[in-house]
Amino acid sequence: MTVWKGIVLGGATLALVASAAAAQTPARIEVSPASLKLQVGDTAQLSAKAYDESGKAIDAPVMFFSSSRRRLDVDRQTGQAVALRGGSYTVRVFSLTARGVQATVEVEVAYPPLTRIDLAPAGDRFFVGAAVRHTAKAYDAVDDYRRDASIRWTTDNPSIASVNRFGVLEAHRPGSVTLSATAEGVTAKHTYRVVANPIASVKLTASADSGRTGDVFHFSAEALDANGRRVADAPITYTLVANPEDTVVAQIPAAEIDQQGRFVAGKAGSYTVLAVAPGRTAQQTVTISNRLVSQQIDFVGQAAVRDVHTSDLWIWEGPDGRDYAVTGTHSAQGATYFWDVTDPSSPVLTDSLVVDARTTNDVKVSEDGRIAVISREGASNRRNGIVILDVSNPRAVKVLSRYDDELTGGVHNLFVYKQHVYAVNNGRRFDVINIEDPTKPHRVARFELDTPGHGIHDIWIVDGVAYTSNWGDGVVVIDVGNGKWGGSPSNPVEVTRFRDVGGATHAAFPYRSPTGKFYIFMGDEIGRQVPGGGENRPQAMSGYIHIVDFTDPEHPEEVARYEVPEAGSHNMWIENDVLYAAFYNGGMRVVDISGELKGNLFYQNREIARYMAYDPQGKVANAPFTWGGQPHKGNLFFAEYNSGLWAAKLKPRLVLTP
Amino acid sequence: MKLIDLARRAAVLALLATGLAGARPAAVPSYLFYVASESDDVVTLVRFTPGQGLVAEKVIPVGWLPAEIEAPHGVFVDPDGSTWYLTLGHGFPFGHLVKYATGADTVLGMTELGLFPATVSVPKSGGVAFAVNSDFHGDMKPSTVSVIDLETMTELDKVETCTMPHGSRFGPDGMTHYSACMMDDQVVAISLGTLAVSRRLDLVTGGPPATNGHAGHGAERQPCSPTWVAPHPDGRRAYVTCNKGHEVVELDLESWSVLRRFPAPKAPYNADVSPDGKRLLVTQKASAELSVFDLESGERIAVIPSTRTVTHGVIASPDNRFAFVTVEGVRGEPGTVEAIDLGTMKRVSTLDVGKQAGGIAFWKMEGR
Repeated sequence: MTVWKGIVLGGATLALVASAAAAQTPARIEVSPASLKLQVGDTAQLSAKAYDESGKAIDAPVMFFSSSRRRLDVDRQTGQAVALRGGSYTVRVFSLTARGVQATVEVEVAYPPLTRIDLAPAGDRFFVGAAVRHTAKAYDAVDDYRRDASIRWTTDNPSIASVNRFGVLEAHRPGSVTLSATAEGVTAKHTYRVVANPIASVKLTASADSGRTGDVFHFSAEALDANGRRVADAPITYTLVANPEDTVVAQIPAAEIDQQGRFVAGKAGSYTVLAVAPGRTAQQTVTISNRLVSQQIDFVGQAAVRDVHTSDLWIWEGPDGRDYAVTGTHSAQGATYFWDVTDPSSPVLTDSLVVDARTTNDVKVSEDGRIAVISREGASNRRNGIVILDVSNPRAVKVLSRYDDELTGGVHNLFVYKQHVYAVNNGRRFDVINIEDPTKPHRVARFELDTPGHGIHDIWIVDGVAYTSNWGDGVVVIDVGNGKWGGSPSNPVEVTRFRDVGGATHAAFPYRSPTGKFYIFMGDEIGRQVPGGGENRPQAMSGYIHIVDFTDPEHPEEVARYEVPEAGSHNMWIENDVLYAAFYNGGMRVVDISGELKGNLFYQNREIARYMAYDPQGKVANAPFTWGGQPHKGNLFFAEYNSGLWAAKLKPRLVLTP
Repeated sequence: MKLIDLARRAAVLALLATGLAGARPAAVPSYLFYVASESDDVVTLVRFTPGQGLVAEKVIPVGWLPAEIEAPHGVFVDPDGSTWYLTLGHGFPFGHLVKYATGADTVLGMTELGLFPATVSVPKSGGVAFAVNSDFHGDMKPSTVSVIDLETMTELDKVETCTMPHGSRFGPDGMTHYSACMMDDQVVAISLGTLAVSRRLDLVTGGPPATNGHAGHGAERQPCSPTWVAPHPDGRRAYVTCNKGHEVVELDLESWSVLRRFPAPKAPYNADVSPDGKRLLVTQKASAELSVFDLESGERIAVIPSTRTVTHGVIASPDNRFAFVTVEGVRGEPGTVEAIDLGTMKRVSTLDVGKQAGGIAFWKMEGR
């Protein structure tokens, strides 16, 4: 390491930190040197002088600020700069006592020499006629990935194999060839043995030759030599030619295939899949028909709540055999409403409860239908927590207990499972509260991630396994009683975790499909600015549902999505191969998720129905903003933020007969 | 001269006087300030005009997620009046500081802070803001004060101070930031020049804290639980509200010691000193009152009950004539802003705003 010595400190150079008493008002700041050129590892001293309006050097405190501290670290008080990574940086020096008085220094840190280039892919054999793209990543002496490095591709014998500027290596005749990727004098090499192409044919099979939009086909290609033996290391690329029935131009892609041979179409038509091996191609055509799953959905009833916003809902069969609903309220008076929905066309308010809160965001009922738990946020004493209720008679709901010990940050979501409440606490962790005696709740465990800046929004439990939604940390799967991983309510044990590509995981719902696949549906929650929007005006959201194949929990894979372009996802429910997805301003969506899933379900005719709950008298008039839904005994109940509880019913699909 | 003529002349003179008054009406000042409503995700720009009362000039929706409460808590207008700053307490999990243009009330930038940022303050020289990360609901461990570069809206640093820092303000010279530590019974000074804690004071003992960290609330001591610190305009004193100690502590900022203690029953919460330095305004959360102290005598000279419960914030008008108070309300009640005439010590106007009105910041006077 060298020390930059080019700065001469003048007599009037600042003591960079001055006492308040000595502070004077500067009119300008000069920094020396005015610019810097450094090597990585160098340390340099920046000095600042402040001058008043008369041009007199004065004593005034300043602060040095590097916006790239991990690459150029500058001590904010002393101005000592340490070059950590190559690049161009601006250091800002500003007065702490005079508004807008600042100076800047441009610092150029020379990139250290490259030390290595990582080349991919590699292998042993390369077939004549094959063309494979390679990539190269350059790293310098401080292991900085140098995206600026200009890679030059060459081969030592272009007559055997040549390479273009994109790194696509194409073999022409047998022999040995070395592929080189060079930048700034550093070269990565890989030698291939180019052999005569043994591939005599390609065998392509499909899992089916016809299907519907949204069906996932599995294509499998094998390269075979003249003796019919499989050529295991033959590079095979899948592609397709689409002939959709709908010939409207500028459509979304009608179908897709990935390099594992998984194909799905969103449009009816015929599709020819090509498996391309060096010098050989095989093809297979499949026909796709429309999925035809749409059903009419009819309004059944509404339990209107129009003076305040409605939050979550839960529907259950009470001990008396009748059906009931509980709905929370949002940004209001802390009310929770109980309804008899045995006749969903005529919901009857059976009771209501007001607690010290402004939002009762989540409402859940125990498996036996006797205990309800509601979350509190916005309590006047800021203690929040949960309230445990006896709902065995929904006409006379009783408060059994309140629990706020270390739950003061507000419980936003919760789940009731086998006499325990799993309460999302302060957006940071979940607490497990034993309610075997609901009058004496007590904490038995707490679970919190250890990642920097972690947060949690929701929890859902199936078969003793909790699926928590953790924004940027995605879904975390925790054994809270399944026992397979040694977990119990008092000893939650993490099983695995998965981050989707969105990083905004708000709610998750696990689903074991009859196909044998185990999926986790991970919903985003992302805000969207609406021009002219605001309080008491229609609003909109963004984000979608990420569908992750968790069949192999060691290797989860995000395989599909359900994305409504104009709206954002919120809560969901899955039953019998049907997804009930609340999409805020996109209303209530009912989606066929039968079979294997791939691609964007929105474009695959999988939507069975959608319901837009327009209420002219709603808190915001005619503004569907669907919070969540739950199917129950053939009806679909859903909570509308602006208008309360709704019930709708899917009609049997009408089939035209000739 | 006949009486009738005198009457006519008087009438003409009266008309002339009226006409002149119409041409140059007597200036009626009005006062504009921002109020944050924590449980409605709105900020209200409020205008108060004596004789006409309080009106909501504009309701500004804040935050990004309509179905999540993002909890606008602290609001502060830059001393140059060009911008205002708002903390959003709830995030994923971290809160934010948002920069707005005053008047236009459009977002100019934002940055992520720590857990539940509460009050925010900008020194008179501008350039940076200090926002306390109150972490109201976290573990009992020291939290931080975020330092934000206001040009780039970049968090420069987090200065560790104490457990649950809340009320905070810069001293009038803008060189020292003071914050109250609710769970440590301390007031902490941070030097703007060093961005480091320069002094701490145990508000119960009046001396240095036993440790620099969490003092705790031992069984042997009556806790102070300070919620606010209000520097005096003279720069030599500051006033700290002891929310659980039910008193206001007057500090000598030079000797860094306790000068006086004023009994302030019923959970004193926020405070402000009138610009002339004569009066201390203290909200009392538990009793829903505003107390006014005479700072020369230390006597509580007036108690003005609020119209709702949970009295929260207070500011004095620049001309010392009025106090503006926010009242949270409970459950579904709206928040309320109250205007108090500091001459008569009477409430002269109220205005309902969004739920849980808390943070309040003066912007400007018009019509002076």
